[in-house]
Amino acid sequence: MTGAAPSPNASGDLPAAVRQALAVAEPVGGARAGLTSDLTIDETLILHSVAWAPRDLVVGLSVQSVPSSIWSWGSGEIELASRAHARAFAHAVARLHAEAVAVGAHGVVGVHVERRILASHIEVELVGTAVAPADAPRIPDGQVFVSDLSARDFALLLAGGWRPVALAVGASFTYAPRRAVGAALRQQTQNVELTNYTAALYDARSTAMERMQRAALDAHGAGIVDVTVTEGPLRFAAHAIGFTAWGTVVVPASSSQTIDPLTVVSLDDAVNAFDVAPLA
Amino acid sequence: MSDAPKDLPEASERRLEEIEHGLFTSDLSVNEFLLVKEAGYHPLGLVMGSSIYHTGLQTRKWGESQELTKLTEAMYNARELAMTRMEEEASELGADGVVGVRLDVNYYEWGKDAAEFIAVGTAVKAEDGVSRRNALGKPFTSDLSGQDFWTLLRTGYLPQGLVMGTCVYHIAHRGLGQTLATTGQNVELPNFTQALYEARELAMTRMQDEASQLGAAGVVGARLEEKTHQWGSHTIEFLALGTAVTRTADEITLTPPVTIISLDH
Repeated sequence: MTGAAPSPNASGDLPAAVRQALAVAEPVGGARAGLTSDLTIDETLILHSVAWAPRDLVVGLSVQSVPSSIWSWGSGEIELASRAHARAFAHAVARLHAEAVAVGAHGVVGVHVERRILASHIEVELVGTAVAPADAPRIPDGQVFVSDLSARDFALLLAGGWRPVALAVGASFTYAPRRAVGAALRQQTQNVELTNYTAALYDARSTAMERMQRAALDAHGAGIVDVTVTEGPLRFAAHAIGFTAWGTVVVPASSSQTIDPLTVVSLDDAVNAFDVAPLA
Repeated sequence: MSDAPKDLPEASERRLEEIEHGLFTSDLSVNEFLLVKEAGYHPLGLVMGSSIYHTGLQTRKWGESQELTKLTEAMYNARELAMTRMEEEASELGADGVVGVRLDVNYYEWGKDAAEFIAVGTAVKAEDGVSRRNALGKPFTSDLSGQDFWTLLRTGYLPQGLVMGTCVYHIAHRGLGQTLATTGQNVELPNFTQALYEARELAMTRMQDEASQLGAAGVVGARLEEKTHQWGSHTIEFLALGTAVTRTADEITLTPPVTIISLDH
């Protein structure tokens, strides 16, 4: 638990090596000196089709330490872990955002979320491609969005009359309750719901989702799409369970939100090779 | 049977209140989300239900094929609890239905004999304000994807409910004599065949019974899953799942599909 975290808002927070790499990528005399992107050719073309272009590959990373003693005993929520996770995410997003601002992007798409939750620290690593409409001027920093939608989904979202505004994240870590030995023995042969477990997990999951929602409301979003809910026991602490929910916050961008889907039948798949395996 | 809390937990109430204030959440992908909108529905929120359930014990006879009714009952009961809670959350939001429902079973290290049954989906509401709830007055549920949901509505059908049938079956072991008698021969093993057949039939019949209770015209996207969970190789759960649908008065607006040859590889 570091008390004073580095202020992640200013681009002055970026390591010197990062700033150097960005300086190379920044436009020199109107021409672009270099461009890195992890988009596929298809995705780049799709972006061009909605008049956007990739600017640069951007990264945000944050590691928060947690006392390793917090995982094993207790009841209810493991608040230190939940807070450390929230802070790790917030800092990583802020750094990603700062890098995007530095290259004059309007947003970041295709953000890959890599997390490592270990007994001693929580690590969040985000990698995405900064994008901007072709030849568009810079926009205020606050309007630069971060989204985990792929370039494909991003183009589709724009075509459907919506735009992404932010990445909303919520997490909750909780101790699994323990069952009294007597109760466990009594219930050995019965079909019963374990109400205390159910309530604890239900609560933790709802809390994670609620935090994500609050982040979306703070970003003045109309909704969250493509929500990923991950959960599960932590490998190093059998009695602790982590729930995380994240998704892209969207707002309507135009008055009409219609797409006109065309139904197609693909004529691929023609070859169904019949494979005769030798009989064992 | 269960002394389940009838009310949803506090955190969930708080979460749903926020959704009622206009924010929607959905685990639908972007194209599913846009298609659901296109179909005339607005996603309201991610809804879920969960139940951690302790499965009782039942003795099995080594050489006898039989349904393990106690385990079947547990599987039914636990999934019903999860589904009902998900429906409750959806009702709370004033939803007409839930699409993209996933049913999962999780096992945790601290509860070897217990499993968490969880149902998650996206609650939706018709934008024209006409209720699309099912015959029982509850929000409809469906495990169809956004794409399938759009196509189904275009063909004049409406989902009524996610229907399921389950059967936990113990399949008899073969005796030494039987095994020896068939060594080196091409023969059908009638006791195995019959046991699997019967178990599947039971599961599918139960699913169809649920569909007819909803007054459905049919079940689409039906599938049969087989899981042994943690019972060893001779005890298998057969789970039949599908979406019950009814015909509506809407006309069929699906245009004939365009055939394409994709140049991808």
